[in-house]
Amino acid sequence: MKKIIGKVLLVVLPVVAAILLLYPTYRANELIKMQNEVYELAKKDTSSADSLARIENFEKQYGAELMSAKQNRLKLGLDLRGGMYVTLEVDIIRLLEESAQSDQIDDTFMEVLNKTKAEAVNSDEDVIDIFYRNFEQIAKPKRKFLSDYFDFGGESAEAMSEEKILQTLKSNEQDAIDQAMQVIRQRIDKYGIAEPTIQKQGARRILLELPGVTNEVEMRQLLQTTARLEFKLVKNDEVTVSAFYAIDKFLAREAKLKKGLNVQDTTNAAQDTNLVKAKTDTTSNLAKNDTTKADTTEKTVAADTTNPYAGLSEEETRKRYLEDHPFTSLFETWFIPKGKNQRPQMINYIVDNFPKGDYNFHIYEPVIKKFNQIISRYEIKELLPYGTQILFSAKPQINKDNAGKEIKSYNFFVLKKEPELTGDVITDAIATYDPQNNQPIVSMSMNDEGSDRWAKITGENIQKRIAIVLDDQVYSAPVVQNKIIGGNSQITGMSDPEEAKLLKIVLKAGALKAPVQIIEERVVGPSLGEDSIKSGLTSFLIAILLVVFFMALYYNVGGIIAVIAVMINVLLILGVLAAFQGTLTLPGIAGIILTIGMAVDANILIYERIREELARGRSIKSAIDEGFSKALSAILDSNITTFITGLILFYLGTGPIQGFAMTLMIGILGTLFTAIVLSKAMINMFIAKGATTFNFGQPKSLTA
Amino acid sequence: MQFFKKTNINFIGLRFQFFIFSLVFIIGGLIATSILGIEYGIDFVGGTEVGVKFEKEVNTDLIRDAMTKAGFTGSEIKSFGEEGQHLIRLKQTGKIAEQIVDALQKAFPDNKITLLKSDTIGPKIGSELRTQAILAILLAIIGILIYIAFRFEFVFGLGAIVALVHDVLFTLGIVVVFHHLGIIDLEMNLSLLAAFLTVIGYSVNDTVIIFDRIRENREKHKGMNFIKMVNLSINETLSRTVNTVLTVVLVLVTLVLVAGPVLQGFAFTMLIGILVGTYSSIYIASSFVIWFLEKVRKVKFDEETSKKPAVSTVI
Repeated sequence: MKKIIGKVLLVVLPVVAAILLLYPTYRANELIKMQNEVYELAKKDTSSADSLARIENFEKQYGAELMSAKQNRLKLGLDLRGGMYVTLEVDIIRLLEESAQSDQIDDTFMEVLNKTKAEAVNSDEDVIDIFYRNFEQIAKPKRKFLSDYFDFGGESAEAMSEEKILQTLKSNEQDAIDQAMQVIRQRIDKYGIAEPTIQKQGARRILLELPGVTNEVEMRQLLQTTARLEFKLVKNDEVTVSAFYAIDKFLAREAKLKKGLNVQDTTNAAQDTNLVKAKTDTTSNLAKNDTTKADTTEKTVAADTTNPYAGLSEEETRKRYLEDHPFTSLFETWFIPKGKNQRPQMINYIVDNFPKGDYNFHIYEPVIKKFNQIISRYEIKELLPYGTQILFSAKPQINKDNAGKEIKSYNFFVLKKEPELTGDVITDAIATYDPQNNQPIVSMSMNDEGSDRWAKITGENIQKRIAIVLDDQVYSAPVVQNKIIGGNSQITGMSDPEEAKLLKIVLKAGALKAPVQIIEERVVGPSLGEDSIKSGLTSFLIAILLVVFFMALYYNVGGIIAVIAVMINVLLILGVLAAFQGTLTLPGIAGIILTIGMAVDANILIYERIREELARGRSIKSAIDEGFSKALSAILDSNITTFITGLILFYLGTGPIQGFAMTLMIGILGTLFTAIVLSKAMINMFIAKGATTFNFGQPKSLTA
Repeated sequence: MQFFKKTNINFIGLRFQFFIFSLVFIIGGLIATSILGIEYGIDFVGGTEVGVKFEKEVNTDLIRDAMTKAGFTGSEIKSFGEEGQHLIRLKQTGKIAEQIVDALQKAFPDNKITLLKSDTIGPKIGSELRTQAILAILLAIIGILIYIAFRFEFVFGLGAIVALVHDVLFTLGIVVVFHHLGIIDLEMNLSLLAAFLTVIGYSVNDTVIIFDRIRENREKHKGMNFIKMVNLSINETLSRTVNTVLTVVLVLVTLVLVAGPVLQGFAFTMLIGILVGTYSSIYIASSFVIWFLEKVRKVKFDEETSKKPAVSTVI
């Protein structure tokens, strides 16, 4: 009798354990249903205080239970419930490029960087390691050292040792990755996604599983915005314009040298007469203008007697002006007079003598590429005022050309590279509307330190412009009217309220130290997920029925016991999945269904062996013992080989494949337990009652 | 019920015929594969794949035209699962999934279009996954070789691996040809890879069962001719070899027919792989062991020498 109790317990305990593990899943579903009902009801009659009370009541009574049930329930994978799966990669190359001193970057450095980039594509090796290896190969022979490019100094005037720089770079890299994880987690939390999964994968990747999200566009923006907010001084002044003039001269001379012509500076021949021409009809000009400025210049210049092109035909003048001004003819330069009612004036570059004050630069999209090519040259960078950079406005103006086709144009700004203030002083951000023009804006408040500095900066730069730069795009560049105390500032220039809302979230969550890139993105719509669950369940049921049918037919009572063992196995798989916080994916369901087919294998091996032993004339009891013990080695060997592949799939696979491998492995362990221990216990329970026969479907003559 | 009464089929006697059959089939499959090429899904080459559902069925040609008009050239369109569901694939990556849906909705204004799924795989991930896939298959094979060599003897490990490689190549040939003939969509993606790996893991099972019996019979029938003993072992285990496969086949056929487009390719590939795996367990794995012992180890298995316990001393 005692023996039987032990055996019953052996069968019952695992079942109870599996049911206990799966109870939260059942309970969570039930509670969510209740919750939905309560909220549905509240939606219908919003007037009654009753419904509100009901919600409160529900939350009070079941809120905590629902929370814990949700945490312990079996989670469905994204392919079943719908959602977005994203792999992000932290761009360490950009981090390296940005932490180097910009005025020191040269061809050697870029060569090292490009090689590193190419190698990092197919390797999970630390990017800084790859970088340093390449640096030693390429830069060291040229007598260049890390200290030539990186300056993390501070304490001493002397340059840091190479190892120390390398160390700093590495810790910066780690910081950037950890911080990216944190920032992205915060952004996702603030955006309001329930049960996201955020995991680090390999050295520099972040895996995100975002259930229920289907708006890819917004999500992408939310994840990829670096959100580096900076306040920078605008240097659109006469010094800059004069530098542009120098760039023209440099490029024109270079072009002539290339052509093999005599270097003869035509513009120099012109006298220092102020040739700046006011262009009054600014608005019509914008529409007429044909991406380059040659058109208008020619008109303004032709009438002037002191100009170097005097006496030339219009066409020739235009041609010569373009040749002499290969850079500035790409964009429009407008002088903004101080006086209140004065209109901006368009300026040409015939003579290096420009009025003191503020300028605007306006460029059309088709030539931006050419413009960028020019300003990215090192020789050109050196001609620009020291410590400045050129950035474009975030939002384009849309213009129509003569044919009615839309052409975008941008303003660009010459800014002091060193920011006056960065976004980390921002404590709060609110998305709202500008009361004056009803445009979406984000207004920000700063911490005490930020407020003090903001007050000082604005106080020192009254009547100057400060650009608000987000991720290297200029959102606005307002003129400082007076000292701002209290630390409030605003970002304008958003196209819609949605964008303002996202900006608010990313500003509050903080900036990323290095940009991240989406390298893999999978979205499953909710309807496909539902279909998958349905077809998964259907095939599960059909498969079980078929197997039950076959087993009962072939192995009779033994077959039914095998099927019961398999059912317990399935319960155990689900229970273990829930206990280990695993997720059930569609391939996972396939893994479970496959387990049904494979788990009976072990029983088949045993029963065939028992039949064989019975055929040799053994008694039922000893045949069963022999059958189990002799089949054991074959069962172990065959299951372990499958387990090995499951293990490899789990470690090398991603996402859904891992789900499959996980259920397959749990299934194999469950198979070993249920087939070897459980079904033996069940069969022995029959035998212990004193039965002398047991129906394994063996031929009649053998059931002696 | 019993499918097989005590059988005494001479499996080993036919080993050369089946060697030739397998060889012809595999070489044919390899030639077909090299001519037709394996069609990789975006998992391995990168790109964008968008699954959309049209409320009313639309001809794929019309969809292609609409896509081309909207500026998405070179798109591939396949039907996917139920009526009205289509997969659209493009080489580009980036923010194009919703652009495609918008463009299609504009082109078919009175046909509601819903986005079922979209996958965007950067070319970087694609090439990484390819490397990983090859690594996974190699590791699985090595892992199994080591395990079987450890549990049995090295020559059996070799036999199992030969059968395994045989199964993979055999299945690959069938998959490529079936895909090319348009019978079933079997492009090489992650789930097909998982199917191949599962085949590797599972098809060894039958082989192991037979090897296990050979191991047992060697103790039991000392002095018996090795070839005869192998044949006896295959016959003795025939019923369980067939029955274990049968249950899995039942399940896989169900999956192929019912589980929907996402799992269909996976289940079909496994089905083929497991049938081939059973065939190779019976006809290839043990036969290879015999061939290897005869040709490489120069063991003689004719009647005279078999009196001595040749195998256990030589192996």
